[in-house]
Amino acid sequence: MFNKKWTVLLLTLCLALVAAGCGSNNSSTGDSGNGGSEGDKVTVNFMHLWPAGVSAGQNKIVNQIIEEYQKENPNVTIKQEVLDNEQYKNKLKVLSASNELPDVGVTWAAGFLKPYVEGNLFAPVDDLLEGQLNGKFVAGTTEAYAIDSKTYALPLEFNIAPVYYNKAIFEQLNLEVPQTYEEFKTIVKTLSDNGIAPIALGNKDRWTGSLWYMYLADRIGGQEALANAISGAGSFKDESLVKAAAEVQSLVDSNAFVKGFNGLSNEEAKSEFLNNKAAMYMMGTWELPNFTTNEEIPKEFRDSVGFFKFPTVEGGKGDINSWVGGPGVGLFIGENSKVKEESKKFVEYFVTKWGEQSVTGAGVIPATKVDTSTLELPQLYIDLFDEMNQASSITLFADVQMEANAAETHLNMIQALFGKAVTPEKFSEEHDAAITKGK
Amino acid sequence: MDKVMSNKKIIALYVLPALLVIMAVVYIPIILTAYYGLNEWNGIGAMTFIGLDNYQALLTDGKFWDSAWHSLLLAVFSAASLIIYLAVAMVLASKIKGANLFRKIYLIPMLLSSVAIAQLWLRIYHPTNGIVNSFLESIGISNPPAWLAEPSLVLFALFIPILWQYAGFYILIYYAALKNIPASLVEAAKIDGATSMQIAFRIKLPLIMEVIKVTIVLAVVGSLKYFDLIFVMTDGGPNGSSEVMASYMYHTAFRAYDFGYGSAIGFFLLVICLIVTWVIRKLTASKETIQYS
Amino acid sequence: MISGATGQLQEGRARSGNGAGRKLGYMLLYVVLIGVAVFQLFPLVWLLLFSLKNNQEVFDLPPLSLPMNPRWENYEKVWSAGNISVYFLNSVWITVAATALTVILGSLVTFAITRMKWKGSSFVLGLFMVAMMIPVHSTLIPLFSIFNKVGLTDHPISLILSYVAFNMPITIMILLGFYYTLPKEVEEAAVMDGCSVHRVFFRIVLPMTGSVLATTAIINMIYNWNEFIFVNTFISSDMFKTLTVGVQNFIGQYTTDWGAIGATLMISILPILLMFLFLSDRIVEGIAAGSVKG
Repeated sequence: MFNKKWTVLLLTLCLALVAAGCGSNNSSTGDSGNGGSEGDKVTVNFMHLWPAGVSAGQNKIVNQIIEEYQKENPNVTIKQEVLDNEQYKNKLKVLSASNELPDVGVTWAAGFLKPYVEGNLFAPVDDLLEGQLNGKFVAGTTEAYAIDSKTYALPLEFNIAPVYYNKAIFEQLNLEVPQTYEEFKTIVKTLSDNGIAPIALGNKDRWTGSLWYMYLADRIGGQEALANAISGAGSFKDESLVKAAAEVQSLVDSNAFVKGFNGLSNEEAKSEFLNNKAAMYMMGTWELPNFTTNEEIPKEFRDSVGFFKFPTVEGGKGDINSWVGGPGVGLFIGENSKVKEESKKFVEYFVTKWGEQSVTGAGVIPATKVDTSTLELPQLYIDLFDEMNQASSITLFADVQMEANAAETHLNMIQALFGKAVTPEKFSEEHDAAITKGK
Repeated sequence: MDKVMSNKKIIALYVLPALLVIMAVVYIPIILTAYYGLNEWNGIGAMTFIGLDNYQALLTDGKFWDSAWHSLLLAVFSAASLIIYLAVAMVLASKIKGANLFRKIYLIPMLLSSVAIAQLWLRIYHPTNGIVNSFLESIGISNPPAWLAEPSLVLFALFIPILWQYAGFYILIYYAALKNIPASLVEAAKIDGATSMQIAFRIKLPLIMEVIKVTIVLAVVGSLKYFDLIFVMTDGGPNGSSEVMASYMYHTAFRAYDFGYGSAIGFFLLVICLIVTWVIRKLTASKETIQYS
Repeated sequence: MISGATGQLQEGRARSGNGAGRKLGYMLLYVVLIGVAVFQLFPLVWLLLFSLKNNQEVFDLPPLSLPMNPRWENYEKVWSAGNISVYFLNSVWITVAATALTVILGSLVTFAITRMKWKGSSFVLGLFMVAMMIPVHSTLIPLFSIFNKVGLTDHPISLILSYVAFNMPITIMILLGFYYTLPKEVEEAAVMDGCSVHRVFFRIVLPMTGSVLATTAIINMIYNWNEFIFVNTFISSDMFKTLTVGVQNFIGQYTTDWGAIGATLMISILPILLMFLFLSDRIVEGIAAGSVKG
């Protein structure tokens, strides 16, 4: 490594220079760090991704929780930093390289979390799970944040991905919700023949296309086949998985997806659905506010949104009640935080309060159990809550399950598969290679 | 004269401040980047020293060379489009009526941030209701291509906004250079009966040759490490057909968590820039420098 | 190339001989000029319209259509989102400080390299040029760790230093092209008369480069004003963030409020537009001043 003294010397010189050069109002910050030892006053740094401008619901809840918490614990100050998704992930990476993670922050599950855990940057939260929060989480959610039987973050969201459809368009063309994949293909054909884009898909973002592949893999090969292939116990060359990939391409051939889907972002594709230009849209339950309570979207449209479960494939092993989904973001506590205990307490408090308020306040389905009978919720929410309760299995999004490197290959291959730049066989080979390499 | 102009203390005083800033803020990171490139590192845990393995892998990495090819294409296009910018600047710098107003208007797009430019061009290229395809359909072309989803077209579709984005920058530089030519030189030529074309090619161009050389280097180096619009508009897709070196570096380091390899790409990019710059300087080298006199 | 040039030369001569043709040529030129001008103004108009729409209208309506109900509330949203005035002030002073430093330090270096005689001047120039060739994202992790070690993270100085350093090479390059062509006679005479180097630089050379200084100042200012990667990475306190962060306020986990982003962009372009119009006139003035002396 380079000589540290030199760096310091150089930078001091530069600093002096700049100070002399502008000599303006740079108020000295002092060290706003965590003076944990000084009296009882502590500051907990909290980094999240719900800006007030667009995630108003979430932001309000966060601020309320913080305010209440500070009132109950006058010695604690929670200092927030808000970034958008992309910038948040970048900053987390830069911070972790210098071992400067915030005390509390937002993380994703499984593959995202793993390197941070292996680098000893996230603190285990099993003590919280055994304490007050015992039994509060929906079964299967905290496991996504567990590595080697220790849990490293507490989930805040829980989502599944149904196929939303435009009832008005379906009615107009006398279409019915499909029960089998054959019926689904007939619907696609009818829509396409009538000049309506069947499915809105923004595959520039790649994970969007991954959902379709995952469902086909699940319905054809059953839940195990895909799970094994991802874990490395099985293979993507499994006949059923190759068939699923081929099926994706045959959907593309039948013009199932909006024009130019590989160049559209999810945001752009979604607007095709919201503007009645595409009849179906597969997406996580985080979109529910747009189909129920969001006043910016015409009521007429919101009232005509329904959903169906991905249909079963004839001869396939999959169950119609098997879903793709899982917990979204969760909260971690920095292993090297100077105020670890206070941070843990705050996270415990936060998760509980979040669970109580997030559905009604922000339309977010929390990972903690919700008593739907006491809440006034739009019908679409109630129906999906029911589906979640009946689910036979929930497969975590493939790109979240995989480690970063393999996930990138998976996502790139998805885009190539949809763009017909690779054959299903090549698609499977590349996956196996990436997953073996990651081991 | 020479004695005064080679006073070491004054030279140090003039050069060192900037040099120190550059050393601390750019060179240490460059050296560290080169060093990270010698390691296997996900950016989080401990590094494992692996010597030149990353650089070796890079040499046979087809994806990297594809991205390098795309960057190089962009560089060629950028350098070629300098001719257009120069022509526009010449017109604006001439004494036509309203030149001042035109100049201001022409440079306005360069004030926009990449975020705005990317959004604008995404709307222009939208496959169904974008301006380009609406126009093509209205003149009877059915089923025009989805520009940003077509692997064979996407790179060229991206070049247009990138070249447009930088037009203002180069026009501004050329304009200032042309305006800096003493009017007396041009007047003298006019009295000698030179046409405006002759003045442009025989007097103005040679006089701003140094500036032109500089802009060639700027355009090429800038293109080789270009990132902004591509990242927002296509994210290197579809299937990597618009991936450039800097976006490949970003994807490797920040998405795939392979910071060692990503750093190797970053450092290699610098080496490529160096080689290309050296070649350009050799090609454009001239013995004499022309001064206004 | 050469034959092409002479071809055009002849054409030029032929045209100048014909008055009517010349007039037609001018008219054609103006048609093209105005056409391009409309094209260049279009983004600004588009942005204004964009900022008055909601997400549905942004994606659904043709770009140049006026929304049924212009949503001025987008601007209200942006203003009430809090902290915007703090961001604004930070943007202004950080941009101005970094730009001024870059232009002054860059001029000093360029002067020393082009005008003074010393060993290693081309090596130093090379150092500055190489600094231009590294992608920003490669430097983020090392740079953060350096600033962190000296306690400059979450401090505006980290931003100013980064802006100065990363814009210095391009600034020097642009200045270089101009310095090479400046006549040396004036300064030679001045040195003969016993002028100090400082005097030569500040009183003679610097004023002669007024137009290029304005040019580099504009370029620096635009870069610094729109920069957000360093801000996000180095700064965590709201009190030091700049206007570009305002855009982030409207990029959510699953949705983005495009209209409000448009409004933020529109607000943030105004100050830089004014500065640009102001500096852009200096380019012309600079020459006027220079030519009097020359």
